[in-house]
Amino acid sequence: MKLLSSLPRPIRRPAQLGLGVVLAVALASCGNQETYPLTTLSPQGKQADTIHSLVKPIFVIAAIVFVLVEVFVVFIVLRYRRRRDDVDGENEPVQLHGNTPLELTWTALPALLLAGLAVFNVQTIFSLEERAPDAIEIDVYGQQWWWEYRYDLDSDGEPEIVTANEMVIPVGKPVELNIRSRDVIHSFWIPALNGKMDATPGSTHFMAMQANEPGVYEGQCTEFCGLSHGYMRMSVKALEPAEYEQWLTDQQAPPEEPTSELAQEGLTAFQSQCAYCHQVNGLTSEGTYEAEGPVADYQGLDGAAVPTVRPGVAPNLTHLMSRERFAGGMFPLYNDDDTPNEAQLKEWLTDPEAMKPMRPNNQQGMPNLNLDPATIDALVAYLVTLD
Amino acid sequence: MTIVEPERTNLPETTGGGELVPASETSAESAPPLGVFTRPTSTTGWRSWLTTVDHKKIGIMYGVSAMVFFLVGGVEALMIRTQLAAPDQNLLSADLYNQVFTMHGVTMIFLFIMPLAAGFINYLLPLQIGARDVAFPRMNALSFWIFLFGALFVNSSWFLGGGADGGWFNYAPNSSVVFSPSHGIDFYAVGLQIVGLASLISSINLVVTVINMRAPGMTWWRLPVFTWMSLVTQFLLVFAVPVISVALFLLTFDRLFGATFFNAGAGGDPFLWQHLFWIFGHPEVYIILMPVFGMISDIIPVFSRKPLFGYRFVVFSGIAIGFLGFGVWAHHMFASGIGPMSVTAFSLATMFIAVPTGVKVLNWLATMWGGRIRLDLPMLYAIAFVAMFTIGGLSGVTHAFASADTQQTDTYYIVAHFHYVIFGGGVLGLLGGTYFWFPKIFGFKLSEGLGKAAFWVVLVGFNLTFGPMHVLGMEGMSRRIFTYSDYQGFNLWNLVATLGSYVLAVGVAMFLANVFLSYRSHKANPVDVGPDPWDARTLEWTIQSPPPEYNFDPIPVVHEVDEAWHLKYGHDEDGRAVRIAEMEDLAQPGDSVGVHLPSPSYMPILLASGLPFIGYGVIFNLWFAVLGGLLVIAGFVGWSFEPSDDPDVPHDEHHDGHDPVDGSDGAATNGHSGDGAEPTAEASPAGPSGETSQETADV
Repeated sequence: MKLLSSLPRPIRRPAQLGLGVVLAVALASCGNQETYPLTTLSPQGKQADTIHSLVKPIFVIAAIVFVLVEVFVVFIVLRYRRRRDDVDGENEPVQLHGNTPLELTWTALPALLLAGLAVFNVQTIFSLEERAPDAIEIDVYGQQWWWEYRYDLDSDGEPEIVTANEMVIPVGKPVELNIRSRDVIHSFWIPALNGKMDATPGSTHFMAMQANEPGVYEGQCTEFCGLSHGYMRMSVKALEPAEYEQWLTDQQAPPEEPTSELAQEGLTAFQSQCAYCHQVNGLTSEGTYEAEGPVADYQGLDGAAVPTVRPGVAPNLTHLMSRERFAGGMFPLYNDDDTPNEAQLKEWLTDPEAMKPMRPNNQQGMPNLNLDPATIDALVAYLVTLD
Repeated sequence: MTIVEPERTNLPETTGGGELVPASETSAESAPPLGVFTRPTSTTGWRSWLTTVDHKKIGIMYGVSAMVFFLVGGVEALMIRTQLAAPDQNLLSADLYNQVFTMHGVTMIFLFIMPLAAGFINYLLPLQIGARDVAFPRMNALSFWIFLFGALFVNSSWFLGGGADGGWFNYAPNSSVVFSPSHGIDFYAVGLQIVGLASLISSINLVVTVINMRAPGMTWWRLPVFTWMSLVTQFLLVFAVPVISVALFLLTFDRLFGATFFNAGAGGDPFLWQHLFWIFGHPEVYIILMPVFGMISDIIPVFSRKPLFGYRFVVFSGIAIGFLGFGVWAHHMFASGIGPMSVTAFSLATMFIAVPTGVKVLNWLATMWGGRIRLDLPMLYAIAFVAMFTIGGLSGVTHAFASADTQQTDTYYIVAHFHYVIFGGGVLGLLGGTYFWFPKIFGFKLSEGLGKAAFWVVLVGFNLTFGPMHVLGMEGMSRRIFTYSDYQGFNLWNLVATLGSYVLAVGVAMFLANVFLSYRSHKANPVDVGPDPWDARTLEWTIQSPPPEYNFDPIPVVHEVDEAWHLKYGHDEDGRAVRIAEMEDLAQPGDSVGVHLPSPSYMPILLASGLPFIGYGVIFNLWFAVLGGLLVIAGFVGWSFEPSDDPDVPHDEHHDGHDPVDGSDGAATNGHSGDGAEPTAEASPAGPSGETSQETADV
């Protein structure tokens, strides 16, 4: 603001006002996590904080330059505007061709300013790459149009937990993501926790993450990935460390066996209709659960080929109801009163393409199996037992 | 008061028109041409447009085609904005939305803004350097027809199974047949290949033109800035277009012939496409902007009545941007996973490319400083350009910081940024250029009243449309999503942006109405705008409006940068401009007869017409390609065998008194003698004969 007070009097006030308005719009209007769940201006994690502490001064400097230039433009136009009584050919302007020292100065000054800022730029780039020795590793797989997360807790190369859409992490602990893709390029982005990183077939990309506070942080795939790119969403749920440990335990146990007759019917239907693609860990052909069943036999990293129909190509449903949303993070699993959102689950099973654009004929997304309403009722009754 | 007049001989030299001699006497004197291969002769009527090799007609055709595609791309933009006006709308299906935003980008970049700039360059460049035409007039016509057929080919996809749906950047492997089974991306790959061919041919032609065809005395440091920046643009095209051509060939082979260049599962690499695309794609930004920088640098001095402040700085910064522009491509890939080392290098390079760009803005402002600013329409647009482009430039600097960019890339913040650059910079500048050169090109001015109303509507509409997108991006709205949800909080600013886009559409409609109404009132009541309606500074204003087909009666001799201004103005001891002459008295009368010009030709359009058939053949059935190939071969054969010059002109008459190998004679013809203008090597590189430097090769 001190800089502004050195401006000529007639433009000082508009300059201050302009700067105020720009900063207000930029920083205040969209920084609220409640109203804008994807806002980039309300960091909630270590890495996002690091980025934000670089963004803030840049925005301020850019805003100052912006106001100065714009005010200068208006000032020049008003000051040097041709008057009504000016006659062409009389009292014409001085034909000034340039001023080399002045021009060298205004070339060198911004270059020096940028060179100063470059230091912080480089620092930030490398500090975001820092790895913690005790970090929790999570494998993140993008595919059309949902995200899968795999937790290999004992580092034996085989995941113990496979879940979808909603990644769970402990608060205050460093987390490292290995981001991969099973088909096209996607981009993993939880604005409150870090910037984005592409998931590219054939590569593994690193991203660090650490949440400051418990909460659910929204995300959206940000690399155009085809038909339903807009409906490829995800979230990160940050839990207190104790709750996180509990979540790990719960996830590794098989779900409770269904008790109602309808849900039993649903389980049978699941085995004949859904289990080609969706896995429920430990589910035996007899309809019981065994504790030591295979968790994930599908790797699906064969590059750009569309996955064939086999268990694991679609989201793992073992603990479906422990999540908050389904269908690529699109639809809530619970109503406002915490009862399961059976209505939308039924709608989904009736006609998935009507709710989310997909191309099942080209093996992109969930096909409509033309289930009859009774089967759908049974299936939903079973699905809501997968807690 | 002492008036200092520039030391010069009386110009223009009145040796009478049409003393120019043909390029190649030897071939012209060969046997009469074969019947089939006579050349068309009409210079008026619709036929003349199909066969013309006149750079001015070709420029106009570029401009008109570009405006048509502007409307196509504009309708697509309105469809996008209407879909996004409110959350969860499905006026367009996701599939159609993806096609529409892809084709909006492709159309606006490749089929609107590039050809519109190409139109201006084609029209103005020979006039600004004092030439009769470009170096290779038939190739010039060829590049226009290839562009037009390529553009129509790309858009024909709408009727043949749908447009491309992979975004203009079309990242692999989403662009492969498995993930995009329609033919849309085939049209993209083959169509842009054709359009790129047009750019490549045209760029080589124009580079040769500027290097070889400048009038005597038109040294490098006397070139108008528009010509300078256009030249830089052509060099960018020469180096950038082959890169996208390679990428498009690889894509075509992946999609249509089962290759696996971008298939990670079969030894290919999706990064290959990203690098190739952006090695072209980033210079492309400057290909779009550089001619506009040149226009602004020509317009601001005219309406400030001062020379451009720091002419050489502006030119050098343009050249610097051209070079640096090839070293920043991976800033489009900060979130691609290219590793911190690459990210750092490209981030730093990107920060520093802001410097020469900023220099230009300051030079423009310094030009206005102390001037006498006339707020005519071209100047209004030029000022709006400076004001809006600054915003785009500054938001660009904010995401030069790679870590900041990982929050901003692929959000609406980027959409806002590049629309401020390409619309706020490019389109506003081109509109200013249109108002500026319109009277030169068509002989009448566009209405000032309606024009100013349209200006404010466009400016307000533009800011309402794209300003809110900065906020949307910071709120976390991703690009290329076909809809959004209520809970995400994007409702308000999307609605504002949509309303803004309607305002902008009204502004564009008012501009078009202005063209139509001004034309009608000009027809009803013609007003002669004279050669120099703006009291301007460069050579094109020393000839009649519209210029005669041969441009200049005698080729002018250039003594100064801003030659036309210095013909009219000297300066007093304080350095103030003082009028010494009126352009009405100085301007070339445009009444020459028998000026020797290359004849029109059927061959460019014939040759170009084969390319879309080859395209359809590659996509649908190779027999079409055979047909297309035959057309191309026919074009080549006809091209080679058509008489190299107009057989009706008896050449020998023009040689009376001229010895083609006598250098001094040639120099005298072009007014070199004894006026202090150095007949530099650049100005007449064709050898001892000065006259050949002005020859238009009939290629």
